[in-house]
Amino acid sequence: IWHHYVEILDAKTKDKLCFLDKVRPPPRVCVHPQWYPARQSIRLDPKGKSLKDEDVLQQLPVGTTATFYFRDLGAQISWVTVFLTEYTGPLIIYLLFYFRVPFIYAPKYDFTTSKHWVVHLACMCHSFHYVKRLLETLFVHRFSHGTMPLRNIFKNCTYYWGFAAWMAYYINHPLYTPPMYGEQQVTIALMIFLFCQIGNFSIHIALRNLRPPGSKTRKIPYPTKNPFTWVFLLVSCPNYTYELGSWLGFTMMTQCLPVAFFTFVGFVQMTVWAKGKHRSYLKEFRDYPTLRSPILPFIL
Amino acid sequence: MAAHAATGAKTATNDVSHKRRKGPGALATVYLVIYNVVMTAGWLVIAVGLVRSYLAKGSYHGLYYSIEKPLKFFQTGAVLEVGIVPSSVVLTGFQVMSRVFLTWAVTHSVREVQNEDSVLLFVVAWTITEIIRYSFYTFSLLNHLPYLIKWARYTLFIVLYPMGVTGELLTIYSALPYVQKTGLYSITLPNKYNFSFDYHTFLILTMISYIPLFPQLYFHMMRQRKKVLGHLEEHSKNE
Repeated sequence: IWHHYVEILDAKTKDKLCFLDKVRPPPRVCVHPQWYPARQSIRLDPKGKSLKDEDVLQQLPVGTTATFYFRDLGAQISWVTVFLTEYTGPLIIYLLFYFRVPFIYAPKYDFTTSKHWVVHLACMCHSFHYVKRLLETLFVHRFSHGTMPLRNIFKNCTYYWGFAAWMAYYINHPLYTPPMYGEQQVTIALMIFLFCQIGNFSIHIALRNLRPPGSKTRKIPYPTKNPFTWVFLLVSCPNYTYELGSWLGFTMMTQCLPVAFFTFVGFVQMTVWAKGKHRSYLKEFRDYPTLRSPILPFIL
Repeated sequence: MAAHAATGAKTATNDVSHKRRKGPGALATVYLVIYNVVMTAGWLVIAVGLVRSYLAKGSYHGLYYSIEKPLKFFQTGAVLEVGIVPSSVVLTGFQVMSRVFLTWAVTHSVREVQNEDSVLLFVVAWTITEIIRYSFYTFSLLNHLPYLIKWARYTLFIVLYPMGVTGELLTIYSALPYVQKTGLYSITLPNKYNFSFDYHTFLILTMISYIPLFPQLYFHMMRQRKKVLGHLEEHSKNE
């Protein structure tokens, strides 16, 4: 039976932080009380990638004396917490504007409602969208990483909450101008929006089913019996494709420039994520379907 | 406003990377040298223009008009250096953007401020800074950097930076009443894009943004100064 002598050094200063003698397969090391496990990055090389929780000491390329390097990832926060916070904000903020709470618009408009039915529809769609996201966070998504750096929550909330306020201000404004092509435009926009919401949800379910509960395995997603998932034939991240579609629908529905802007910025970010995901699929799976593009079929 | 900090970051990277890496290829070097020489010359033209105009008029007033065209040309030309200098694109881009904004969106657009002394204040600050900065780059590329230029670059900012910022802020401030009165660059509701923009408020927000940004950039320059000029004895070891 092997014993390991394990030493852990600081990745930057190379100071010896602690060592363990006669180690057998390995609990996560708690080096210092304030460095809880989620913010510990332990690696074989100071500049290398972090080892995973599941890695077993015996299977790592180390001799009987194992040297690991420790890096503090900074304060961490769980993905679930971040998602819930960043999605609840827009939900509430939009409603504040919808109900024309005081100090937003001129006092004579306080607590009045818009005379345009598209404004009511937009509120329902926007609220539905974020309620869906919240429920998915709680019941659908299976996260690979437990946590992310704490500063992300401030960055993300500023983005979501800021844009929600900006859009909501104009859509619910007393001087709001309804879409140019009236009912036709709104109806088509609503169809697009609903179609893409269902599509996005279908993809989330399909992705969830790839991964058994509690596991972090990665598999290639394939089209299922649900027609909304057939997009997988052409796209690696159809959830982002559908998300873009939803917001294009919402833009058309409200004919509001800030919404268009939000859609565009979101599209840029999702494209970056999709390309990253696509690249890591290609790297990990030799037999990855070649017909697929990251986010837009054949284009991007 | 971001002028000096970005340049500081660029230089430190330039200084260090210059000796560690091989530097840009021959063709790129030629292009960069020509660019920096042209820019140095351009800002010298502006400096000379200011002096001559002052001597001719006998007062500091209204000197803007004598250098308006070269100022616009060479300050806008700085857009070309975004992404080709070793410094971060974000920092360079931000600096150039803020300069171009002041040149076109404030001074050019609001005629009434062109006579203000605050304009002279930032123009002088920019002129001195840029002459030193571009000659610094030129000499660095040719591997013959006089210590005086390096010293000037990392010392004069201590006065020039606050001077420039003061000029910029005062100019924006004096533009406010005219912008409000004429509704310059502003869009009101209702309109079919359901969008509005109040340039007056935007300018106020811009002024406020100087409060967090200026100290950061200034102290960044201070740190760069210590790093670059502080190693007088360890010159060979460091470089």
